[in-house]
Amino acid sequence: MKTSSISIVFLLSGLLSYESVAQKKYTLSGTMKDSQTGEALIGATVYITSMRKGTTTNNYGFYSLTLPMQDSIAVVFSYLGYQPQIKKIYFNNNLELDIELVLNEDVLDEVVIEAQRSDENVQRAQMGVIDIPVTRISELPVILGETDILKVVQLLPGVQSGNEGTTGFFVRGGNTDQNLVQLDEATVYNPNHLFGLFSTFNSRALNNVTLIKGGFPAQYGGRLSSILDVTMKEGNNREVRGSGGIGLITSHLSLEGPLRKEKASFIVSGRRTYIDLLARPFTAKGNRSNYHFYDINAKLNWQAGANDKLYLSYFTGRDNAEYKETVGIFYKILFGNSTATLRWNHLFGQKLFLNTSVIYNQYDQNIETVQNNSFSQVFSGINNISAKTEFQYLPNLHHSIRFGAHYTNHEFLSKGKTEAQSSGNQSLNIGSIPSKYFDELAFYVNDEINISENVSTSLGIRAPAFISNKVEYFRIEPRATLKVSVTPTSSIKGSYTLMNQFLHLVPSSTASVPTNVWVPSSLRTKPQLSEQFALGYFNNFDQNKYEASIEFYYKTMDNQVLFPAGNQLVENFDVDTALVYGKGWSKGVEFFLRKNTGRLTGWISYTLSKTDQQFADLNFGQKFPFQYDRRHSVSLVGTYSLNKRWTLSSVFVYSSGNAFTLPVGRINVANGGSLFEGNYFIYEGKNNARLPSYHRLDFSATYKKRRKIFGKEYDSEWIFSFYNLYSRSNPYFVYLYVDHNENKPKAKQVSLLPIIPSVSYNFKF
Amino acid sequence: MKYLAWTILFLLAISCQKDIEIKPDTAYEEQLFIEGILYPGKVPRIYVSRALPFFQPEVAPQEVFARGAVVILTNRGVALTLQADSVFDPFRCRWIPFYQGGAVAQQGETYDLNISYRGKSYAASTTINQAKVNISSVEYTEEFFDVYGGHDGVVIQLQDKAGEENYYRFQMNRMIDNDRLHAHTLGDVRSDCTNGNMFPITDLGRTVFSDENIDGQLLIMAIEVSFEYKEGDSTWIFMQSLDKRTAQFYKSVDSQLESIFNPFVEPVFIDSQIDGAIGVFGSAVLSDSVLFIYPQDNP
Repeated sequence: MKTSSISIVFLLSGLLSYESVAQKKYTLSGTMKDSQTGEALIGATVYITSMRKGTTTNNYGFYSLTLPMQDSIAVVFSYLGYQPQIKKIYFNNNLELDIELVLNEDVLDEVVIEAQRSDENVQRAQMGVIDIPVTRISELPVILGETDILKVVQLLPGVQSGNEGTTGFFVRGGNTDQNLVQLDEATVYNPNHLFGLFSTFNSRALNNVTLIKGGFPAQYGGRLSSILDVTMKEGNNREVRGSGGIGLITSHLSLEGPLRKEKASFIVSGRRTYIDLLARPFTAKGNRSNYHFYDINAKLNWQAGANDKLYLSYFTGRDNAEYKETVGIFYKILFGNSTATLRWNHLFGQKLFLNTSVIYNQYDQNIETVQNNSFSQVFSGINNISAKTEFQYLPNLHHSIRFGAHYTNHEFLSKGKTEAQSSGNQSLNIGSIPSKYFDELAFYVNDEINISENVSTSLGIRAPAFISNKVEYFRIEPRATLKVSVTPTSSIKGSYTLMNQFLHLVPSSTASVPTNVWVPSSLRTKPQLSEQFALGYFNNFDQNKYEASIEFYYKTMDNQVLFPAGNQLVENFDVDTALVYGKGWSKGVEFFLRKNTGRLTGWISYTLSKTDQQFADLNFGQKFPFQYDRRHSVSLVGTYSLNKRWTLSSVFVYSSGNAFTLPVGRINVANGGSLFEGNYFIYEGKNNARLPSYHRLDFSATYKKRRKIFGKEYDSEWIFSFYNLYSRSNPYFVYLYVDHNENKPKAKQVSLLPIIPSVSYNFKF
Repeated sequence: MKYLAWTILFLLAISCQKDIEIKPDTAYEEQLFIEGILYPGKVPRIYVSRALPFFQPEVAPQEVFARGAVVILTNRGVALTLQADSVFDPFRCRWIPFYQGGAVAQQGETYDLNISYRGKSYAASTTINQAKVNISSVEYTEEFFDVYGGHDGVVIQLQDKAGEENYYRFQMNRMIDNDRLHAHTLGDVRSDCTNGNMFPITDLGRTVFSDENIDGQLLIMAIEVSFEYKEGDSTWIFMQSLDKRTAQFYKSVDSQLESIFNPFVEPVFIDSQIDGAIGVFGSAVLSDSVLFIYPQDNP
């Protein structure tokens, strides 16, 4: 480990010194924004055609290129979905150039733009990264009229959903807790609303979404399997704009505009379900069944000076569900996230960019369940206060250096309780749950280095620490990726990453509701650790109209946690004391083919993977499949622009069934009428059986029209959609019961979502 | 509208359910279930049966009895082949088959069990060396709570012997008639073949008590009983001292029962103590009996 760190430092210093003897250089820097709204364009490309070199904007739309002096250069500024701009620049001085790109649809109504797309996916050193253009998401089929970013993420290679109705997503064999989901840098611990139908992210309030599933740069840490980096819109800083929508169960409204033109702006966006209100007339008197969720996003930003910008973001979302069946079933599910982020951007000249943030986030989950007259309750609460500071230094074309520090103070509360009989008054006393406090601190440095025209690398090192009053953990995490261009449109990349995670979400394998519990690392529960190796081939065709990739990965995961056999949560016990520990392995290959432009856009992804776990205290110490191990996952996503008004889109997904534990045999213990007497189960292994495979076809048609009301024009949109078009009964969970007519056990599958037609109306003014 | 509202109100409400056929990743391989507990002073009795594939219909014990098995018990070099036999279970009106024979089991002796059945052999051994324990007191309790919920039952106190790993299990011998119901799985079953006559039952406690971390102390154990009772019913109570393997086996059986009853408990694999089979070969030493008379009807 020490040797690798020293090597990185030597390599960095060597390359930097190489630059220092080169010819005189000047810097071109600035920001890239949307021409109408002033929104920062994240990941937009700046490309010098004559030198075949370029860069991309960071999360705040900032770019910087330092190049050798030339008489003039042609610079192409481009971003998917926008009209590219080509600028000829006399380059004999430092230059600041802010660019505003125009949305394709705003320029040409009738013509489908065939603008050349960036080949970033091939040229950048980083691998395992997928940018999700938020502007395109709205055209994909939706459930109940709600566009959903996490539903799109689940269609990407290497990413799997849980069963129907379960929350979260699973990346390269990792559990849901191994995904770091960030909204404006604040961690969102549960990014889903109930049953995973909708994510907590209201897509109308989002600017950009990036998924990283391997080859993690050093600025990211704290999770083993993926980073989902979500950036909220800043709000239109030129004019007041609004948008809204009315769906079958939700409505949403967004308002954005300048507080001070070109200097300060705001955006407020809210969404709420109202099915509880619609259903009220049809529910019997005294029926306690009830469900609603809401979420609110808000953001203010202020250009404090030429080099300073302040942002204040806020998000809150809550679910409140109660269900009582006449016999034996009761659910009460309350959970929610809230985040607030205050950020300050500062430019030190043209090459050094600083972002400093103070973040607060809160999550709580309280689930009470009665099933088979058994009672269970799980409570998890997390409060974090964080501070981050990051410098991005762009000294020349060969380096993009990020370094910084990240501190988080965590407060954790978790408790669970299971009782064999429901007595009606056995809820946990939430107020008496003791808090656990600990601190997380990390320093990092990462350099993206262009070694030659065809070879580039990203080298980084992160040093996280976990400090509580009982235990301290210090870790070193090397990160490395290497890209070698094979042809101008293809490259081979390899990566190695080591990640630590000081939080653990302990999954329950039995209950039909998500009774998972968050616990922090402790003396007994060691930090999760993963090492991931990945190798990929990336190729773009037809002037980047098509992009294709194949990635292989192998990942090991240490210090995984599960509940032991027979575990039931007891109020007086610390959850930490009831866990068993093991390892996990995941390997797979991911194919991805995406068509970016033209009337027909979309992608095909296929993942072949295998994930196993091994725990000394489970399954007789033998390896067993991970619960969400799915051998095959296929997604086909297509959007077709029929004409300027109608857009058709469709999604097909197929996944092999999840693993679950099924008894293979029965024995009858007949010991003379004792309490032992009865049928018992023989298990041959944990997760030895598979649920039926999951597949469904969704379809939607979108009709867009510009209309007038009170003499003012606005954009309108009708979306007609079918979720699960052929009404496949996909498994939510399976339970066993005895059929007394046939006198034998049977398995019964519970499915949630049949075909669901929906219509929704959106408007934008 | 009504359909729509309910559809979305709560997905479970409209969740469809259907029977499905699920096969494990590997084909089912028949296993033998062996339950052999030796009691000093009693003739050895070994229950040997075939496990059923999980989704097969329920059958009577005679149908899964491993008929034709060769069951040999060896003590001090003397091997004896046990004979198939059965006993009538008047509560459920059925015959329970087993293999039995030979001299009564003796304290301090080692026994080797060898079973051959359908080309496979199974072997296990046990030594009866656990000490007999004395019950200090027995009291009635109208209510206590354990992992299964609230129960009525008896509270037993005994002095644990220090310096040993000890495991205890409750036993109650009594007479019942067909009016008495079983606490759990037999709740709906009434004996219809006893003509209303009383018949003997042996009620074995479900919980295995260990002296781990309370070695040598006075142990107080609240125990759920299997059958209903009436005021004045007289019973004989024993505590069984189990060997470690027997205790482990019945502990796992008990834990699995919890996981079957309670959907929030993780599945439990039975901790078999015999290689290649499911089951246990061990021993239990009975305490002296204590007369206990129920002071009231069950609540």
